Amino acid sequence: MEGESGDITASSSNRKCSAVTGSARKTKDNAADWHNLMLKWERLNDDGFRAATSIVNLRRSQSDRLLVDESSSSSSPSLSSAAAAAQQVAAAAELQDECVKLQEVVDKMVAVVTKMGRLMTSQRGIRDLEEFQFGPEGRKVPLFHSWTSKQLEDSCHFLFAAFSQELRLKQTILQEVAHAATPDLGLVYLSCWLHQPFIPPNSRLTLEALLLETGHRPL
Amino acid sequence: MSKPAVISLHQALRRSFVCLENSQKVWRSVLLECGPLMESLGNLAEQSAALSSVQISNTPLRDFPELEDRLRFKLSQATDTVLSKLNDKMSSLQSVRDSVSNQLSAVQQQFEQNSDSLDVIDVTERSAATPSVADMMEWLQDAERHYRQQFLRRKTLLQTLRVDDFSLLESAPKRWKSLDSAEDPVTDTLCKVSFFMESQ
Amino acid sequence: MESLRLLSAAPSDRGSQRCRLGPGLMSALGLSLGSPLLVSVPGGSCLCTAWPRADLAEGFLQMDPKCCSLSLISQLPAHLNLEPGQLTPVSCPKLKGVRITVVVQSVEFKKHTPPRLVHELVKDMLRGVYVHQGFVINLEDFDTDIRYVVIESINPDSDTIGYITSKTGVEISGIQTVRHYRSQLQDQNTVALGGLDEVSASLREMLQLPLLYPNTLSALGVSCPRGVLLVGPPGVGKTLLVRRVVGEVGASLVVVRGPEVVGSRPGESEEKLRMVFERARSAAEEGPCVLFLDELDSLCPRRTGSSAPENRLVAQLLTLMDGMNQSDRFLIVGATNRPDSLDPALRRPGRFDREVIIGAPTLQQRKAILSVLCERMPVCPSVNLAELAQRTTGYVGADLSALCREAAMLAIRENSKDSGEQAMGMKHFLEALKSVRPSCLRSSLGRTELSPVTWEQIGGLDEVKLKLRQSIEWPMRYPEAFVRLGLSRPRGVLLYGPPGCAKTTLVKAAAASSHCAFLSVSGAELYSPYVGDSEKALAQLFRQARACTPCILFLDEIDSLIGSRSNSQTPNSVQTRLLSVLLNEMDGVGLKTLERRGTEKILQAEGAEESHPQEELDCQEVCNKDVMVVAATNRPDCLDSALLRPGRLDHIIYVPPPEQQARLAILKVCTKLMPVSSDVCLEELATNTELYSGADLENLCKEAALLALLDKNMEASTIEHTHFLRSLNKMSPSLTAQQINTYQTAPR
Repeated sequence: MEGESGDITASSSNRKCSAVTGSARKTKDNAADWHNLMLKWERLNDDGFRAATSIVNLRRSQSDRLLVDESSSSSSPSLSSAAAAAQQVAAAAELQDECVKLQEVVDKMVAVVTKMGRLMTSQRGIRDLEEFQFGPEGRKVPLFHSWTSKQLEDSCHFLFAAFSQELRLKQTILQEVAHAATPDLGLVYLSCWLHQPFIPPNSRLTLEALLLETGHRPL
Repeated sequence: MSKPAVISLHQALRRSFVCLENSQKVWRSVLLECGPLMESLGNLAEQSAALSSVQISNTPLRDFPELEDRLRFKLSQATDTVLSKLNDKMSSLQSVRDSVSNQLSAVQQQFEQNSDSLDVIDVTERSAATPSVADMMEWLQDAERHYRQQFLRRKTLLQTLRVDDFSLLESAPKRWKSLDSAEDPVTDTLCKVSFFMESQ
Repeated sequence: MESLRLLSAAPSDRGSQRCRLGPGLMSALGLSLGSPLLVSVPGGSCLCTAWPRADLAEGFLQMDPKCCSLSLISQLPAHLNLEPGQLTPVSCPKLKGVRITVVVQSVEFKKHTPPRLVHELVKDMLRGVYVHQGFVINLEDFDTDIRYVVIESINPDSDTIGYITSKTGVEISGIQTVRHYRSQLQDQNTVALGGLDEVSASLREMLQLPLLYPNTLSALGVSCPRGVLLVGPPGVGKTLLVRRVVGEVGASLVVVRGPEVVGSRPGESEEKLRMVFERARSAAEEGPCVLFLDELDSLCPRRTGSSAPENRLVAQLLTLMDGMNQSDRFLIVGATNRPDSLDPALRRPGRFDREVIIGAPTLQQRKAILSVLCERMPVCPSVNLAELAQRTTGYVGADLSALCREAAMLAIRENSKDSGEQAMGMKHFLEALKSVRPSCLRSSLGRTELSPVTWEQIGGLDEVKLKLRQSIEWPMRYPEAFVRLGLSRPRGVLLYGPPGCAKTTLVKAAAASSHCAFLSVSGAELYSPYVGDSEKALAQLFRQARACTPCILFLDEIDSLIGSRSNSQTPNSVQTRLLSVLLNEMDGVGLKTLERRGTEKILQAEGAEESHPQEELDCQEVCNKDVMVVAATNRPDCLDSALLRPGRLDHIIYVPPPEQQARLAILKVCTKLMPVSSDVCLEELATNTELYSGADLENLCKEAALLALLDKNMEASTIEHTHFLRSLNKMSPSLTAQQINTYQTAPR
């Protein structure tokens, strides 16, 4: 994500407005965590994309080489086969390497989404608490500027749903990207990875709204 | 010694060539910035084409509902972004073109004002350091035409792109590059007039 | 001043509109740097701006044809020498507005590019260009899809030349593709078409309705016809008609000649055919389009057997024609001269819905064609086109144009000797008539070259001559009298009489005097060892004769040709079959549709507003639609009675052996060219030659002349009476009194 948003850490901003306590405190921290997790996700996504790209490229060159081998094998089978075999082994090792990298990235992503899930649970907890305190309508005075805790929870839910679906997609890609049957399919995997179809463009907007509401961004 | 009309024309030409030099720099830098944008445009087109050629329901991605639509939406959004950036670049190019055109018309206007006192001999007189007025006006015209042609070609290329025609989009970077013609009359011209410009 | 050599422009000047001149010439013409000038070259002119050559050399001219007239659009003429007078300095005011047509390269560009963008681009491209009304601006140097801009009009319209600035308003009146534009340029110089007004009107309507008013037709729920089949003998102008009508309607034309499509590899022909349809479809997207399949019979012959390659091609064409939907706005026109050999599946509605039959031109049509052809030729006013049209029975359009060409050649040949005025007189046409023969009758079996025989060359037989004239010449010459009295032309004439009594010569004279087409047939030509061939040949003969009516069909020795049903031994002999064909052809139910010519005209008795000769021509046309059969025999008793009843051979004329007076006349004719000494008494000879036929008498004269030569050892200058008497002694008459008796009693 762009640098201009900066790292709104829970530490820097909440020290100043230490007046905020209770549910508001918790919500505000959650919002900051959302922001940081999403940043982290983006970084992971970039790393993963690099790994996935090299996987697809390796696969492509491998299949190209296979074609070349098939055509050349008839002419001088014994001479080239040893070199080709060595080359294949090297390529396979490289491929394995990249797959491991991608695996690591996805593992980290799983961790990120798990954390996101926790954030959502805690947000739901806050809402439940308010329902318990103030009855089904919730609190009369908004926690921050205007949003009810229901709205806060909804946006958290929205983000979590998007990311968990996207994670499923990433996991599928991880499974399949090294086995793409056609170059086209490989390309589709890559572009799925890069463009993250399940993270809608307004997820960014939702996050900004959340930050604005909780006072991380000046109004 | 040269007539006063010729001298004033020389001054106007000198000014124009200075302006042309700057314009050329801006033009070059803008074109350099356009290169990567065109590349990514081509990439996006390639991805879209791949998406169209793959039957998602026959792949492991079949479990994801509306994946194709969502991805397509994302892709077209990215394409739009690139195109709007390119449009910004085009308007910088246009301003370069317009400034050169203005320079040319200024020189032409000055020439027309003095044309009564100038005969053909005057305008075709040239020396080792100073090209003739006719030559320099020709070069200025050629430069202006070059910018106009370049700009129109690039504009046509961009404006005739269609989001649904992937092959057109995919070939766009290549075609864009092919417009960077090897011979650049403006650079030649600036070389030819370098002595003239220094001989103030 | 010295002349200028036109060189091709330097590549660096491409698109600059500069015209490079020597500085000396520039100052001589009063041109300053960049002033506009008009350069006229053969075929058109170019608007350029003057610019000194880089090497300042005189005597050369290089110009960039950015703005030039339509005819120079493809290419400037090379290696020309121009006079300085061909360069005109012009003044160019700044224009307020200009109306243009944009010509673009591809259909895709035209289809997908929004008009606003085209306008924007064109405006940018045109800035700083000097334009001339009606000229074409070449924009190829921009390397975009926009190729040309045609300047339709400029504002202010007081001038024809102007300069486009950034403030000039540009109005686009239309966008075309290059192909369409070029085809339109070509269409502007098509040749005129004569005599096919009715057919072309109906064809035009067929083209125009669905192509120009598709919405109206669909609103009515009518599906427009998609295919038209033109049928007619070769040379009647089918191809020309299509080109012409297409040009008039403003449609684009995709031509396929049958043999061009057929390829050697399997599947190649079908692919080519599909490509042609694709081409038509894309052409139809920018305007009406006609797909013209010339020589359709070679492309789609009747399907035979199972695996002939043509079968697949026919099937492909059928599929393609069925595959056309209403949105494909193009029309298929097929042309053939052998409709019978087409696959019948092609000729059903939905494929070739309509069939337009163009027959050999009638008298009126020939006259129209001739007047069109002669329009551009220097023809003497004395040339009577109506008479020429009368004498050209059986000529189709192509023949007539060949005739005019031949006449023109004759005129040139003659006039080149004395270099007089180049006008074509009637004599040239008549001379040309001898060398150009009608193609309708070409390769017809009865085609005979006959040396013209006048009535005067036949001695005696005045009564017979009169009767023949009545039945052949009169209907041609006095049609209105025939119509007035409700007379119809006799269908056939039978001449019978003893052999050697000038029956054949009489027919020749009749044909020559009436300018009819003349077909003569004998048994040898008709008989064939194959069953059915003779009948087919006879039917074919009649068909050809009908194609070039008025026509005389002469059956000499009809008794040997066609027997009688009553007294022949084998009921199914060739003769009887021929007889039945003849009976049918003479008195059949009607014409075949394919033999239709012109439209049916019915004479109206009232309202004679047209000029008299016009009316007469009309009469002739109506009255002389039939073939006149003239038969000759010397054994009338052998003929089938069915042939002799009215409606068939209804005029039966007995050609008697010459009487004394007639014999005298014959002898006079025979000795006309002979130097006969004064003591020869032809009257005496005539009285002494009872029972001699005309042929006998001619022979007698010849014999006498030979005897004279024999006597005087090749130096005879006259023929004496004694020679005649001696030859008379040697000969005996070929007729007998008994023979003559049988003739006089025989028929009826």
